[in-house]
Amino acid sequence: MIRPEEIKMSAEETGKWGMVINQDICTGCQACVAACAMENNVTFVGEEDSGYGRSMHWIRIERFWEGEYPEVKMTPNQPMLCQQCGSAPCEPVCPAFATVHSTAESLNLQVYNRCVGTRYCANNCPYQVRSFNWRDYERPEPLPNQFNPDVTVRRRGVMEKCTFCIQRIHKAQDKAKSEGREVADGEFTTACAQACPANAIVFGRVDNPQSLVSQLAHKGHGVKHLEELGTLPNVTYFKGG
Amino acid sequence: MTEKFSRRDFLKLAGLGAATSAILTGCGPASRYVKREPYQQMPEYNYVGQNTYYATTCRECAAGCGLVVRTYQGRAIKTEGNANNPLNLGKTCARGQATLQGLYNPDRVQGPSTGDWDSAIQAVADALKNYKPNEIAFLMGMAPDHLFDLVSELASATGMNAPVRFGALGMFESRATLSKAAENLFGQAGLPWFDINGAEVVFSFGANFLETWLSPLPYTRGFVGLREGETKLRGAFVQFEARMSATGAKADHWVPVRPGTEGLVALAIGKLAAEARGGAMPRAFSSVNPADVAEQAGVELEALEELAAMFATRKVLAIPGGAALAQSNGLEVAEAVLALNALSDNFGQAGGVYLSGLAPMQTEYNRPASAQEMKSFVEKMKSGAFKVLFVHGVNPVFEVPASLGFKEALGSVEQVISFATFPDETAAEAKYVFPDHHGLESWGYQRVATGSDKPVLSGAQPVVSPYYDTRATADVLIAAAQLAGGKFAEALPFKDEVEFIETKVSALMAEADGSFSAADPVTFMAYFQQHGGWFKNVDARVSLDGSAVLNNNFKGSEAEFAGEGEFFFVPFVSPTMAEAGANKPWLQELADPTTTVMWNTWVEINPETAHELGLHDDDVVKVISEAGEVEAYVYLYPAIRPDTIAMPFGQGHTAYGRYAENRGANPADLLGAHFNEAGDITFGGMKVKVEKVKSAARGIGLSRLESTMGVYGDSLGEEH
Repeated sequence: MIRPEEIKMSAEETGKWGMVINQDICTGCQACVAACAMENNVTFVGEEDSGYGRSMHWIRIERFWEGEYPEVKMTPNQPMLCQQCGSAPCEPVCPAFATVHSTAESLNLQVYNRCVGTRYCANNCPYQVRSFNWRDYERPEPLPNQFNPDVTVRRRGVMEKCTFCIQRIHKAQDKAKSEGREVADGEFTTACAQACPANAIVFGRVDNPQSLVSQLAHKGHGVKHLEELGTLPNVTYFKGG
Repeated sequence: MTEKFSRRDFLKLAGLGAATSAILTGCGPASRYVKREPYQQMPEYNYVGQNTYYATTCRECAAGCGLVVRTYQGRAIKTEGNANNPLNLGKTCARGQATLQGLYNPDRVQGPSTGDWDSAIQAVADALKNYKPNEIAFLMGMAPDHLFDLVSELASATGMNAPVRFGALGMFESRATLSKAAENLFGQAGLPWFDINGAEVVFSFGANFLETWLSPLPYTRGFVGLREGETKLRGAFVQFEARMSATGAKADHWVPVRPGTEGLVALAIGKLAAEARGGAMPRAFSSVNPADVAEQAGVELEALEELAAMFATRKVLAIPGGAALAQSNGLEVAEAVLALNALSDNFGQAGGVYLSGLAPMQTEYNRPASAQEMKSFVEKMKSGAFKVLFVHGVNPVFEVPASLGFKEALGSVEQVISFATFPDETAAEAKYVFPDHHGLESWGYQRVATGSDKPVLSGAQPVVSPYYDTRATADVLIAAAQLAGGKFAEALPFKDEVEFIETKVSALMAEADGSFSAADPVTFMAYFQQHGGWFKNVDARVSLDGSAVLNNNFKGSEAEFAGEGEFFFVPFVSPTMAEAGANKPWLQELADPTTTVMWNTWVEINPETAHELGLHDDDVVKVISEAGEVEAYVYLYPAIRPDTIAMPFGQGHTAYGRYAENRGANPADLLGAHFNEAGDITFGGMKVKVEKVKSAARGIGLSRLESTMGVYGDSLGEEH
């Protein structure tokens, strides 16, 4: 159980990388899902396993129905991904310290070579955004040519989830460091945000009040999902409509 | 190209102070010599190099979006949008992202079916030489344009039949109807261009502009402008369609009108709006009675009045598209909806309707063949008028509705030569298969037909060296023409494909207002590759004169339906896979935006209707039309009229590689050969029957991302 003082501590460190998602303009086109899979070596699992709910999407577009025909309405598309909680329920339940918190970046890390596959973290994630490699899924040659060399290829028995494209973060930080400067806002972005045809996803430093993501996050009508659980998510949603 | 303009030349050029970008390299051919190793098998002491980024053009559809592809040690790793391309401004759709799974698809055609390219070129040369020119036909896809230009030149110089282009996307967009409606109303054929971005309110009559319609990326951008425009209130969006599409799901009001009544509804709204405004009633609306229309369309008259009130007081952009135009009265629907725009004075105005401008190197609007034109093409094949058929960039056996008989007609053609990259259904029927490179291994250019206000020529260059023993079709044709000699050789006096492209592209050097300029062709080509194309900094949209459109006398005709069934039938293009995505496993595993189904085909049925028929989720049903029957799983879809069923197009392949083959069903098999006045197939004008084949069973059914727990009283895997 997370004690209140811990939440406060986490709240102070909240910041750094964050995301704003505008559901009003999200068209549900799935470009982010495809972009994420291509960037992060996320495997496809085939029809049968995806029917059992084993598909590996790190980001998915949720939608719900309201009302009945003819007054039926689809709720605004809701891209759901790891919320990079400031006080993450997945972290304290991992016996192997495979899912740990990076204080420096305020991200939830997933250390694949520590993961022993208990799946406690996925069980405890209120957002249901963790996916587990139930098998070594086949990627016949020459499909592996596409693998991004910056991202570990996971295998059976390992949990995985959205990393906020940490490889892109590090690449941008390395580049900025070698040039003796800070990473500029908008200099790089995550694969999902880069692809999004509607610019519904904005990524950046939430601890920099000048950044676009900060300014959007503080617009006032943003909400954080399941905030009442005290998870301190780093993703802000605009419901719109 | 490699001899004329080497990497060394390029570096010299860069050293001379030419403004070269640090990111986008223009030295495509160099990639052909890079040693390539899969990441998994990387040698231990490998030098970890830098990424190289190449600008090229996406070939997943014909829109012409620019890509920048990240390559690493000769392998393409990731595609991103090209921010320099005014069409997509750095963005991509899901298909653009998954194009790499086409490049690395394990089921590509790996070499010419004759074994080597010398005999392949000989076979093409023989086909050109041994038949009369008018016995030779080319059927091509809507992309790429450079090959279309090359074949057009060959055809006009030798008397061969001019190449015919076709694509299922064009068919489902009813492009011929849109163009004909523009011609009838404004005296000029072409694709209308809708400025959604600047509109206050959008009324879309079936146009699925956020999915696959015409050019979805710029229309998505327009939609964002409608909702988020800085200087105005959030714009409203009303969608009229019998089955809620992913586009309709974003609407503030979804109005489920009966299929075939869209034109009447448009006219009724026009009449009510004109009444509310007062003054003389335009002639266009004289034939309709709103109360009757409300009854025919199955909507409340009050609902129409409310919408008309919106029309009367605000600036409304009316867009015709999709299944609404694919009716026997589709041309009148398109004209009626376009005419509505006159009420808001939309023609040639911001937030209104324009005609798409001509792309660079284009003298007139060139639309793909309509289904009716494909029917006469098929008849020529059957009659033996075509003895040689070359097929490139399209899979007609799958994409042309079966009732048009393309597959059967192939048997009457002596030589069918396919240039398919993948082993598709048409290649399976061909005498020879001489595979073209994948789009990311190819040179080329694509004219942007619509979506950008500027004239854009997207440029393509190979981002990786070809994986297999494939060859550019343009190179094959040039070599075969040389071999055939005579007027063929004279028609294509080029060393190779790249020289042809250089000849074409360098002609743009003389144009004013270009996105870049250069003093000599070599530099111009280098920039063209580096920037991923060239565009003109002018607004090329054509302002329309719509002053007289309301004087038209619309008959207000009713749609006629083919078949005996009790249900209207709405086939729609899968928003994630479109016509050619089924062989990319990640496109298969993307959840459909409205149903969340993956990897299969479903039949959308209203839950009430399903209850009456005793159907449940995942039951297998047979859908029967006058033209054929297909089987698919039932999906209880809450946002569809009870008298309508819908099916996605994109699956149902019998070939096309392991991920596509024998998966799902093809709703195009249900379409009868009926056409509207513009020649588009009336895919929205079928009536179909539904018969239950078997009940849902544990472990069998649709894979979906959503859970079905507790939905409509069903629970996962339970017997009904």
